[in-house]
Order: sequence, then structure tokens, then C-alpha cells
Amino acid sequence: MNYTVRIAGKDIPIQADLSEAGTCAAVIDGREVKAGYCIVSENRILIEIDGRTVSAFLAEGQDGLLVNVGGITYPVQDADVLAKAGPRRRGKELPQEVTPPMPSVVVRIMVSEGDRVEKGQAVAVVSAMKMETTLQAPYAGRVVRVNAAEGEKVMPGRILLDIEKEEDA
Amino acid sequence: MFKKILIANRGEIAVRIMATAREMGIRTVAVFSEADRQALHVLEADQAVHIGPSEPSESYLNMDRVIEAARRTGAEAIHPGYGFLAENALFAERCAREGIVFIGPPPEAIRDLGDKTVARRIMAESGVPVIPGTMEPSTDPDVLSREADRIGYPVLVKAAAGGGGKGMRVVRDPAELRDACTSASREAKGAFGNGDIFLEKYIERPRHVEFQVLADSRGNVVHLLERECSIQRRHQKIIEETPSPALTPELRERMGAAAVAAAKASGYVNAGTVEFLLDTDGSFYFLEVNTRLQVEHPVTEMVTGIDLVRRQLEIASGAGLGLTQDDVRARGHAIECRIYAEDPLSGFLPSPGKISYVHEPRGPGIRNDCGVYAGFTVPFEYDPILSKLITHASTRDECIDRMIRALKDYVILGVLTPIPFLVDILSSKAFRRGETFTDFIDTHFSPWNPVLEHVEAAALAYVIHASKEKRPAVQGTAAQEYSPWQALGNFRP
Repeated sequence: MNYTVRIAGKDIPIQADLSEAGTCAAVIDGREVKAGYCIVSENRILIEIDGRTVSAFLAEGQDGLLVNVGGITYPVQDADVLAKAGPRRRGKELPQEVTPPMPSVVVRIMVSEGDRVEKGQAVAVVSAMKMETTLQAPYAGRVVRVNAAEGEKVMPGRILLDIEKEEDA
Repeated sequence: MFKKILIANRGEIAVRIMATAREMGIRTVAVFSEADRQALHVLEADQAVHIGPSEPSESYLNMDRVIEAARRTGAEAIHPGYGFLAENALFAERCAREGIVFIGPPPEAIRDLGDKTVARRIMAESGVPVIPGTMEPSTDPDVLSREADRIGYPVLVKAAAGGGGKGMRVVRDPAELRDACTSASREAKGAFGNGDIFLEKYIERPRHVEFQVLADSRGNVVHLLERECSIQRRHQKIIEETPSPALTPELRERMGAAAVAAAKASGYVNAGTVEFLLDTDGSFYFLEVNTRLQVEHPVTEMVTGIDLVRRQLEIASGAGLGLTQDDVRARGHAIECRIYAEDPLSGFLPSPGKISYVHEPRGPGIRNDCGVYAGFTVPFEYDPILSKLITHASTRDECIDRMIRALKDYVILGVLTPIPFLVDILSSKAFRRGETFTDFIDTHFSPWNPVLEHVEAAALAYVIHASKEKRPAVQGTAAQEYSPWQALGNFRP
């Protein structure tokens, strides 16, 4: 079986032959590995790798399969499936929309329709689990529409403000 | 003793209070909001009353509905837990008017101590040392700016009604004072309904050391030793321990005596916590009194063997302490780690959502005060605390080792948690040496990057899982698949 999995932003090719008896010959990221495994339950697989046995706990998550080993949860995704799905925004730069990072309540909208905003300017404040988060303008431009009211519950992906991007002079 | 009590709270603390009530043969009533229909505290209670929509103001903070629930179910007393109505003097008064016992201090004590400027005055008059700062609350930027100049920068802007780091700002540059005061006041108004703020001299590198006190209605007050709560993120505690690595027996005795004096000065009854800032030179200052059961109370319970909730219920029902200061003895060391639904890699941003799997650690000296379960959706309306993991051992070193082991065995899938971050803090040399100051995380763990030790195993687990899904279910029996002895090949433990 050949897969390319994405873990912590890195694509790792893995080729594995799994036997019914629970042995496994694999090449992980170019390294040959002899391993043993045992499916304990749908949430737990025992894995012996390099003479060390660890429990991998797993469950389906929003961003792929969640695999916890040694106290750390690794979201594991199939890189081939991701590639087919097309590019996805990732990384630490500003998101390109004014949208909450998690389900939240709108605390304040700090701009009005027609206002000119600078890139990075604070435009809205949302609150989730008693913590306020300030949302910033992704680019300089003009606010053409305010789509949410203070006190409203909003989900990630909901665009709170439409900002018309200013063309670079 | 009461026959039935209502717990006006949710999550792990409601579940914890019910555990003691059940041991005492007291029936329990839970209240719940729309988002909490299937919350653990509802499942654990003898009776549960729906009190409104998910917004806290319409449910857990709504006095009318909580009182009505107590009336309808015939609960004689209300335990408020922490947060929500726990430190609300109006609520305590209301309970008294309705003939329901409020399991906590008298309303006057809550009011006086809840206003931090009043509390500072009471303590200063009783000879308890306080941090230099303003004695009157204000929202006037001109007054605050003059006061800040008098105290000297850096100053700490704090909410008079505050707690948990809300409405708090450190200001080093006079030019930033106005903005900080405005935003702190607004945050305080939103969180506590009171925008009053005051200023204190900001102490660099303090430790946060608090003393648990117990007072009965007959004037007996004892302290149950200290808790060191210096490891904080966003001004909120995440690791607490007792005893504090910073206290000598002599300092412990002086601080304990100050804590008892503070309780007596404020006419305190029931369980409370006197918080101090401890400076590097050994001088300590009164910070505030928390007029409630604290989140971190279990570490005190572990070392003293005293069930604080049981004591609260006894005191509230009018019984005496039956305990002198000499009866309070600590054994060993205890540490608590708070497990929040949050992402330690992006500024501890909350991470609400559905928990798909939980595996709890077990073994000697491990306690997990947990308010969630696999299948529960963590609502975004409330505090993100999921559980508190507590370990107890005979020495600090053993207790740290035990906590690291327990954390690594604690699996919560579906929401993010700071578990790997906590493991790294506890594994650090600075923590091991007891160099726990409130700037610990900024100093040692900003930024923090987890060591990804098991990427290969995680990748392999993914492939095994994927192949199992693809494989038709015919081959082998279920029994074979689940037996490690047949399935693991040459593996032997």
C-alpha cells in the first residue's frame, strides 16, 4: 500500500505491507521499518516500532484522522486527497476574509459601511469561551457591507465584513 | 444537614460537588442551559432542571430562574461552585430572603471583598500588607493618569470587580495608559457588569501564593496551608501545587497568620482563599480574597486529607469547624494541571467542538476532576475548562514524574488541549528547580514548539486504520482481530 500522509505540514511518503498476523514491513519517508501492530479497538492500535511499543489512539476529526501517540495528537491527512481537493489557504499570514477563527459571538464592529481601512486594522471583536479576539482587515480597502450585528452568533467562514480591496497605486 | 441541594453551576465543578453530596446522603439538583442538555453534570444529578437558553445571562447567571428551580425541587441550599453567581452578593442576599441557604460567605463579606478597593482598605486597616496603588476605583482617565504618575510605572490596571485576568493590563509607557484603561474598563463592564478600574504598582517577577481558609459561623478560622499558582497564561493559572517551593516554614507561618487575619477582618464564613503576591525578597502583599471554592482546591484536599466541599456543607448548615490550626497537617506534594479546550500553538485560542474520544489516566495518586465525556460537544458560550488532572506523591520530584506520566496517558480527541505544553513545562529544568514565577511561560516557553517524536508511528497508524477500512469484513473473526496475542505477531510485552 502506498500513501503520502501530511503530518504537521510535512508530506511523508509511506509504503507498507501489512500482514494478517500483525507484522508490517514499511518504508516511511525513505527509511525501512520493521513493525508490529495490533488493532485493539476502533480507537486504539498498538504499534511496535524499533523495539518500542506505543499506543496510538485515533478518531476522525475535521482535518483528517486524529492520532495521539505519547501525549501528542497528530492530525494526519492524506496528501493525495488534499492535492485533488485543490490548494487551501494555510500559514500564519492574515486570513483573506474577516471571519471568526471559531464559533463566536460578535462583541463589536468597529467600522461602518464606506469606511476606509488599512491592512491589519482592527475591524471587529468576537468572543468565544469568555475570550475576546480582534479581527483585522486583510488588506487596505473600503468597507462595502457589514454582514453581522453586535450580539450575533457567527461561525467560522461567515464573512462579517465585505471589504473592497484597494488597488496598489 | 441538608437533605437536598441545588448546584448552580456546570462542568467539572458541578460534578465534583455532587460527588461529595452523594457521599453525605444529600440529594442533588442540577440546572442546565440549552447547550448543556447532555452535559455530564446533568447526567450525574439526582434531578435536573432546564433553566433557559445557552447565553449565560439567560441561564446560569439568571437569579430568578435558579431560585425558581430550587423552589420547585425543594432544595434547601444552593452551592454556586466558582464563576457564574459564586461571588455575587445580590444572589447571596436573594437566597437569604427566599429562605434558601447560600453555601458560601455572607453577602456583606462577598460585597466588601469583591470590590478590590474596599478589600484593600479593610486589609490595610487590619495590618495585612497591601501593594502600593490607588484606594478608590475610577473610570476617569485624568485621575488614573495622575495616580499612575504618583505610583510610578510600570503599573497594573485592574478591574475593581474582576478576577481571572479579565480587565487587566500592564502599562509600562505612560502614553499607553489611556487606551489600556479604556479597554480594561470595557472588558470589565462586559464580564462583570461593572467598569470600575484601579491601579497597582506592577511587581516584576512575583510569585502567586494563596492560602486556603475555613471559617465557621462561630468565629473559628483556620488556614489549610498554601497553593503556589505562579504558572499562568493570559493571567490565568494553569498549574498549581502545594506546598510552594518558595516558602520556608517561617514564611509559611507568617503568611498563614496574615490569611487568618484577613478572613477575620472581613467577617468571613465558609471556605475562601486569600491570595498574595510574593516578591523575590520574601515580602508578600495581599492581592485579593476569592470568596468561593477555588478551581485549584483539590491540591489542598490531597495533602491535607480534608474534603473542602464537605466542610462547606457542614459550615453552611451551621456546624462548627471542629478543627484547630494544629490539626491541619500536610502530607506529601500535590500538583494540578488545568485541561482547557484551547490551542497552545496559537495563543491559547479556545477550541470548542465535539469530543470524539477520551482516555483518562489511572494509577496511584492520580485524580481527574472531569466534566466531559466522549460524544459531548463543548459549548463555546462558557469557560473552556474540561477537567483538572491532579497528582499526589510523597515528594515534589515524584509528584512531577507522576504528573508527566499521567498527562502522557491522557488522550482527548476532537478538541485541542494544552496537554503536550503542560508536559514540556513539567519536564523543564526551571520547573523542576521550583523557579516558578508568574512570567514563567513568557520566559521559558514563548514561542513553544512541541517535539514531534512519534511521527512515524502516527503515519503507520493512519495506514493501518485506512487498510482496515478498505478490507472486507469477512476475513478472520472479530475475536481474532481484538486479541493482541494473535494479532501482534512476534510481539511480547
